[in-house]
Amino acid sequence: MTATEARTLEAYFATDAFGIAQATKERLLLDDLVALTEHHRRACPPYASFVAAVHGDGAFDTIADLPALPVRSFKTHRLASIPDDEVFKTLTSSGTTGDAVSRIFLDRAAASLQTKALNHTMRAVLGRERLPMLVADSASVVKDRRTFSARGAGVVGMMPFGRDHAFALDDEMRLDQPAVRSFLERHGHKPFLVFGFTFMVWLHLYEPARAAGLDLSKGTLVHSGGWKKMVEQSVDPATFRRRLGDDTGLTRIHNFYGMVEQIGSVFLEGPEGDGTLYPPAFADVIVRDPVTWREAEVGEVGVIEVVSALPSSYPGHVLLTEDLGVVHGVDDGPHWRGKRLSVVGRVPRAEVRGCSDTFAGGR
Amino acid sequence: MTVRCRVSGTTFATAPALLASMGWADDTGASPLVPADPRALAFLGQLSRELLRGAGRAFPELVALGFFLRPGELARVLADQTRRTADDVVRAPRGMVFHVPPANVDTIFVYSWALALLAGNLNVVRLSERTDGPAARALLQAVTDAMGDADPVIALTQRIVSYGHDDAVTAALSAACDLRVIWGGDASVERLRAFALAPRARELTFPDRFSMAVVGADGYLAMDPHERDRIAVGMFNDAYWFDQAACASPRLVVLVGAATRTAAAGDDLFARLGRVIDRKGYRVDTAMAMEKRVAAATLALDGVATHVDWRSNELVVVRVDGAPSRTHAGAGTFQLLAVSDLHDLVPLVRRRDQTLTHAGIAAAELRDLVRALNGRGVDRVVPVGQALTFASVWDGEDLLEVFARRVSVARPAVAVG
Repeated sequence: MTATEARTLEAYFATDAFGIAQATKERLLLDDLVALTEHHRRACPPYASFVAAVHGDGAFDTIADLPALPVRSFKTHRLASIPDDEVFKTLTSSGTTGDAVSRIFLDRAAASLQTKALNHTMRAVLGRERLPMLVADSASVVKDRRTFSARGAGVVGMMPFGRDHAFALDDEMRLDQPAVRSFLERHGHKPFLVFGFTFMVWLHLYEPARAAGLDLSKGTLVHSGGWKKMVEQSVDPATFRRRLGDDTGLTRIHNFYGMVEQIGSVFLEGPEGDGTLYPPAFADVIVRDPVTWREAEVGEVGVIEVVSALPSSYPGHVLLTEDLGVVHGVDDGPHWRGKRLSVVGRVPRAEVRGCSDTFAGGR
Repeated sequence: MTVRCRVSGTTFATAPALLASMGWADDTGASPLVPADPRALAFLGQLSRELLRGAGRAFPELVALGFFLRPGELARVLADQTRRTADDVVRAPRGMVFHVPPANVDTIFVYSWALALLAGNLNVVRLSERTDGPAARALLQAVTDAMGDADPVIALTQRIVSYGHDDAVTAALSAACDLRVIWGGDASVERLRAFALAPRARELTFPDRFSMAVVGADGYLAMDPHERDRIAVGMFNDAYWFDQAACASPRLVVLVGAATRTAAAGDDLFARLGRVIDRKGYRVDTAMAMEKRVAAATLALDGVATHVDWRSNELVVVRVDGAPSRTHAGAGTFQLLAVSDLHDLVPLVRRRDQTLTHAGIAAAELRDLVRALNGRGVDRVVPVGQALTFASVWDGEDLLEVFARRVSVARPAVAVG
């Protein structure tokens, strides 16, 4: 499988991450996703049971025909398509609720492919050179590599894209002025990378940077983490962008959308900077109507399904997320091609009725 | 945190203050009510009328409750008890009963409360703050109205309270009561067990249960379409009133018969059930649909499900080929098992299995099944449509008996010769 995959993924890497037309992408992806489905059916018995029960033995004519595994299943089940002794890295992530964490198992090949894919994606906004990198977080978030938080994992995942790393915050989440000023003296006159989680950038970097009069105008900000905490602060994407631009000079800003369950596949905000996200060449999105579960029309909100040609060591190539989104158009963006997606929220947690929940309200 | 009466609106700073206001003292207290107290019967009769004629009419579960509380029905329950009582037994109230019902099944607390009241007890019912849906509000309004018309002793001795998550209140009420009734399932029972009861006190628990419908394929297919529709409506009422979350709601449908017959009966039954769901306007929101997708995926990944038939968000049929799963998302997910003989069910039944609803199967066959089970599970066998019809014998317990003390009054031995 690995050999086949390495060959076919070259087809995606040959073009720009966001330069591939939708029809071409779908043709490439369908073959690869069907092959991955067959591979995981052979290699992961629970996944084989899943496909048998929800799909049966029929063919897959379109990407939308492929059975989508709920993301949450990685919290309830150990799903791996490699033997235990080939597990090179286990990634975990907790959602916003509940105690369970997803466990994602990578072998060496999958880990290296994931890095390669992320490189190819990020190149579209960062260029080929590794840039000096300012992290909107504290160094402590990446200290213990065995017990990464989702934030730590995100930072570590991005660090290879930069060099001469500096952490902008101290352990108390205050701006480390000497460190940041030293970074800007050395690198602030040429392109550099700023990376952080959206709410960290807003709460802990933006305000003190403005107060200190820092000039971040040569920077490119890549940020992620959802808007829930930002909405609590009454900050929408446009405000975030405007205030950062006006007050720190930071204008190249790219939000991204991704999840540990599909590590390496990152949807990036296009250069138009209106919050619209694009899947990279080897990945795609299907927004599903939550009543019929068929693909929603352009412009209609539904549940986001993400597909990616990357996951070979665990059956995560077709996943039903619990995020809500809308596809605004296909191949009609001003700069990039493919589907234009907005993530608009999360499916709320259901209030499960039952005899057995006397004290559930306390959780 | 205060204790708030959901009927009067009065608040109390502590549980002892609440109990004092009820005239309750631990050691010397006696209930001012007697078993089958006319004032209690009058109140429950009025509550029944409020539910059947007032705001309760809009909610089928409140109408069912209203029927259970009709004076004639309660008189029947009491007469039944009297008939079974030896004349050397005098019943007395236990004293104070502390009820902990589930947060989200709005009506169940009234059944246990009403029977404990009929037995003459003081009652404190602890309602979750979350018990505040439209049906719960209509129910509380009916209780408030009926209490307003009742003898003041009712409002004095019967309290429905909420107090958030204040462990001190739970501890004080647990320590003070003579009987604690927990309806919340395994997790709630465990949680409440941390709060000690007085040495004299008892506990009645209703742990998690699982229920199933058993349909004889030949018997079902022999019914005329009108009768089959009636079965489908019964299935709807059994399963959907409480989003399939009541312990007695069927989560497994067992079709009995030859393969071609069970296939035909299943297709027909679920098609009819789908039409009932549409007609009743039952809807599952996206959040619950997502829960159901995750649950169906779990059944499939675990190898329990052999086929997931996602008919709609409201009706998901998961075919199983052996032991069903007893954990379940509800809200319209049915595991479907086909067996050729009713007795194939025996090895699949577990202790936690409670209600077996049936259609198209002869009574003699059902009795044979229960004999073959010999106590390994199943407490109730009732026709489809009656899963949620409450009876004073529940989970194998005669509640009216559990809520009373039996004082034996023995005669002197008769001297012979």
